[in-house]
Amino acid sequence: MSRIDPNDKGSILAPLKNLQFFGRKAVTESLDPRPASANYRGFHLNDWEACIGCSTCQKVCDNAAITMAEVPGLPEDPEKGVRNLRPAIDYGRCCWCALCVDLCPTGSISLSREYVHTCTDPELDSYFVLPDSSGIHGVAYDKGWAKHAESDMVALERTDMPELAPEARIGNFDEIVDGYDRNQGIIEASRCVQCGMCHDACPTHMNAPEYIRAIWQDDIEEAVRQIYRTNPFAHTCGRVCTHRCETACSVGHRGEPIAIRWLKRFAMDQLSHERVKQIAAEGRQSSPSGQRIAIIGAGPAGLTAAYDLAMQGHAVKVFEAMGAAGGMTRYGIPYYRLPADKLDNDVDVITSLGVEIQYDTRVGTDVTMEQLRDDYDAVLIAVGLWMGRSTRVRGADAEGVHRAVELLRKVADGESIPVPKRAVIIGGGNVAMDIARTLARLQKRKHGQVAITLTALEDIDHFLADPDEIREAREEGVEILDARGPQEVMLDGQGRATGLRTLKVLSIFDGQGRFAPKFDDADELVHDGDMVVEAIGQAADVNLLGEALTEELEWQRGRLRVDEQLRTSADWLWAAGDMVRGPDVVSAVADGHRAAASIHDHLMISEQAA
Amino acid sequence: MRPENYETQRQPPSHEYELNIGPNHPGIEGNYAFKLRLHGDEVIEGRADAGYLHRGFEKLMEGRLWIQNLAITPRICVPDPVPMEISYCLAVEDLCGLEVPERAKWLRVLQAELSRLAAHLFTFGGHAATTGMYTPMFWGMADRDLILDLFEELCGGRVYHIYNIPGGVRRDMPPGFIERVSNTIDYLESRLPDYDNLMFRNRVFVKRARGVGVISQQHALDWAVTGPNLRATGLAFDVRRDDPYLVYDQLDFDIVTEDAGDAWARALVRRKELFESIKIIRQVLAKLPEIEGPIRCPIPNPLAWNVPAGSTYVRMESSKGELAWYVVSNGGEKPYRTHVRGPSQMHAVQVLEKLSVGCRIEDVAQIMFSLDACPPEVDR
Amino acid sequence: MSSMQEGESASYAKIKSMTTLKDVLAVATSFEESARDFYTDLIPKVSKRFRWLVEELAQEEQGHYDLFTSLAARDDVEDAIQAEIERPVTDGKFADAVMTPDLGEQPDDQAVLQYAMGREHLAMTHYRSLADSTAPGPIKELFEYLANEEAKHKEELEKLYYETVHAGGV
Repeated sequence: MSRIDPNDKGSILAPLKNLQFFGRKAVTESLDPRPASANYRGFHLNDWEACIGCSTCQKVCDNAAITMAEVPGLPEDPEKGVRNLRPAIDYGRCCWCALCVDLCPTGSISLSREYVHTCTDPELDSYFVLPDSSGIHGVAYDKGWAKHAESDMVALERTDMPELAPEARIGNFDEIVDGYDRNQGIIEASRCVQCGMCHDACPTHMNAPEYIRAIWQDDIEEAVRQIYRTNPFAHTCGRVCTHRCETACSVGHRGEPIAIRWLKRFAMDQLSHERVKQIAAEGRQSSPSGQRIAIIGAGPAGLTAAYDLAMQGHAVKVFEAMGAAGGMTRYGIPYYRLPADKLDNDVDVITSLGVEIQYDTRVGTDVTMEQLRDDYDAVLIAVGLWMGRSTRVRGADAEGVHRAVELLRKVADGESIPVPKRAVIIGGGNVAMDIARTLARLQKRKHGQVAITLTALEDIDHFLADPDEIREAREEGVEILDARGPQEVMLDGQGRATGLRTLKVLSIFDGQGRFAPKFDDADELVHDGDMVVEAIGQAADVNLLGEALTEELEWQRGRLRVDEQLRTSADWLWAAGDMVRGPDVVSAVADGHRAAASIHDHLMISEQAA
Repeated sequence: MRPENYETQRQPPSHEYELNIGPNHPGIEGNYAFKLRLHGDEVIEGRADAGYLHRGFEKLMEGRLWIQNLAITPRICVPDPVPMEISYCLAVEDLCGLEVPERAKWLRVLQAELSRLAAHLFTFGGHAATTGMYTPMFWGMADRDLILDLFEELCGGRVYHIYNIPGGVRRDMPPGFIERVSNTIDYLESRLPDYDNLMFRNRVFVKRARGVGVISQQHALDWAVTGPNLRATGLAFDVRRDDPYLVYDQLDFDIVTEDAGDAWARALVRRKELFESIKIIRQVLAKLPEIEGPIRCPIPNPLAWNVPAGSTYVRMESSKGELAWYVVSNGGEKPYRTHVRGPSQMHAVQVLEKLSVGCRIEDVAQIMFSLDACPPEVDR
Repeated sequence: MSSMQEGESASYAKIKSMTTLKDVLAVATSFEESARDFYTDLIPKVSKRFRWLVEELAQEEQGHYDLFTSLAARDDVEDAIQAEIERPVTDGKFADAVMTPDLGEQPDDQAVLQYAMGREHLAMTHYRSLADSTAPGPIKELFEYLANEEAKHKEELEKLYYETVHAGGV
């Protein structure tokens, strides 16, 4: 700067210098209205199509300016993770920081390039706005601050789960997935935005946000406590749950969903079994109710009900046809997915509450339904789906053709099964993957190589199996042929299976997800195999009911008719689990809770009436 | 509120009277009261009366997530919000051990110096207005608005930028931003002679400002005076140079000093610092295209972010002086305690009370503005 | 029960004489009638679990039977009722199906579905070839309509079969 001398009195003509300003543009001139800058943080815009109502914006809002408002008519689908809530903004509180934008899991919220909102007193309500994509004044201003990779604060990437490499796992039944260590568990848990979509989507409404948060806080006991509030099959579901929670997870809309199932497993694996038992027994009714309940089937549904009823002080006896408990989770799911000792732990927690399991007892032959009805205050039937369907194509009854459920049961029971040099599997569900991968392991052990062809009616995009299962089966050397319809089991001169003839499937799933396979006669293949395994549908074996009871009960399209509370048409009998719900571990657990609650209510009312 | 305000009213002697300046008064950048006891037009005693702007920032921050506090920090000093944001982020980064990418550091310096320019223009005009000259105020505000335009482009907000987050900044520069900043500072530089002629060669201002509100260097040190107010007493101390943060050690700039320690010297220091900031910004603009890479390091999910237990003290040079944060974490998702060392705290309370004694009533407002105190830094 | 019993020797003669629309309709009517009666007889035989399926099939066939009886009353059909129609190649099979098989004492849902699908397939093919061999006009449209009806029903059964046997319980 030029030198300034405060003592310089200056020239008397100095004011004349100011005349130059007449020739200059004024610095304080008014501006015409203009759109704000491209990143401006103006008023909220919300794309209602993309918004799922997860409320994360509300949680991160520094000023509690966001209220989630129910908008009737918008889609509400817990299984897809969609709520009909949309954020409403109180501009008396909002500070336009745009954290709601940066943390929005779906990217539906943005801020507009609009500067001004003002109003007169009677319109003060106009500061409370339910924004949609049209802007606060319905004028089309562009998006200003919006979702951008630079400012995105959602943790989109999942913590990798270490697992055995295909070559390390193929010759054995060791568990594939390692599980998270403490650091990985906490990091994965920290990704959660606590929206609770998982809780809504879960059939048994697990307190997933709570246990995830407890894991993040390194409070494993609290996590286990939260898990046991809704799910006594904690180890099992931590490993093999169908994890609908993850489908609904709001973070999964743009990234990978939180590994909720692995976090549950992580929490369970971190705590000693003895401590788990203590936590699971917390809140148990100390005085016996004097009521006796018989449960048929020691699977997830039956034992969950047993757990609840035992917690409420009832005497529970479970009749199990097999030699061990767990139902399909033990006899259907291979050990590499669910090790037996983990399932034993789950069962032990339940039996430690005093639940008695009578093994090797088949209801219908060893004891009749009528006896149970007469001896107990209530009976719950939860026998699962143990009958494997057959395609009944030509040759399906030949030697060398097997049902997957039966093979899996034998393997789990330690019985030996024939191990073919080449096997052909029919089916595209998880059971098909289970038997394919089980046979692959046995083949590797016995013949040193894997030779399995899996054929399914569905195209690969419509497989009923989990994508993970499909990927892992392929890694293990299983050849998967999609859209192939079984036509005939090929036989040799002795009537033994030598392969399967299939045709290409042409038709597709309709709008309702229904499917009527149509075949292309020109595209025929014969898959060689000295064993053909049918791993298609399963059905419940309800012969145990006996003819009279079958006739007495009401049925609904092949399944026992039950009401919302899982009561059958007989006032002493409840039914739950796969046999009424279709196959799913966590749905069976949910059913177990519902049946137990209904039985408990029924007993309490009967007691009061007596 | 200060306890003495609740004491029984002392009746002044008959030859004295009381005068309240504020809580709304242009002598300070916000709501702040100064109670005078006068004899004639001579001030016998001045009492700072803070509290009119109290929003409890420090306490408020204890109840909010680490990330949510970003929206509070700039509000602690509205005219110069950027150092508040940056220093809070520096504190959290220090506790978390976050490594801020190089590009983010340069962007932070760019903001901090733009913010200093805007703040000095604001103060500058305000100071002139307290001597009855309103043109510098209009010019200062109008020119400051050009900087706010730049902030709007860079940060999405004109005043409350909320642009920094622990780990870096939220967005990179928009296309063509360097050129626009360059044009604006060129223009601002061209305006400096106008300011000189209008204020520093203006006899009214010279007469009014010189010798008013004199702080000796010893007093300045005793009273914890910092920033331009300290440098106006002849001591060349600037955190940017003496305890460098961000990338200030790589920048070439001068520490401006004046010796008089009066209102005039303080205004002159600010005027000269305008040019120093312009120099710094030019260097940053030249450097930025060379520095590639991310603008922030990976950070945890803001809703599940525990900052490791510990405490840290982070200081930087704001337009008002030495601004510091003392942040304590107990390992939780919210600060256990935050404390702001707002430089205005010292300037607006103890310094102002002392300087006003013996001066004439018409100079009180000028002394206040020449100290460039920001009331929310007092009422934090 | 239908007037036609299994093994009734008159059936062959009946087919041979079937050359007019009247005859075609008569056989078709008895085809649907015999199916209805077959399913109706099956209802008490199957387990109560699958009874819904047999009941629905009986109902469906009753609907088809009603359709044919009402057709006979239509003016345009009455006008054409003596029209000569080329005998389709499926004719023999179709008439054979008028005689119903023995599904065993306690057929399960899969057996019933397989039988029903085969039956619908036959009916569909039959009407389709009748339509192909008829000159354009109301009669052709009628056969096309009938073929479509059977095709739709068959497709419904196929979906049900897929859901019950292949996807059920997987």
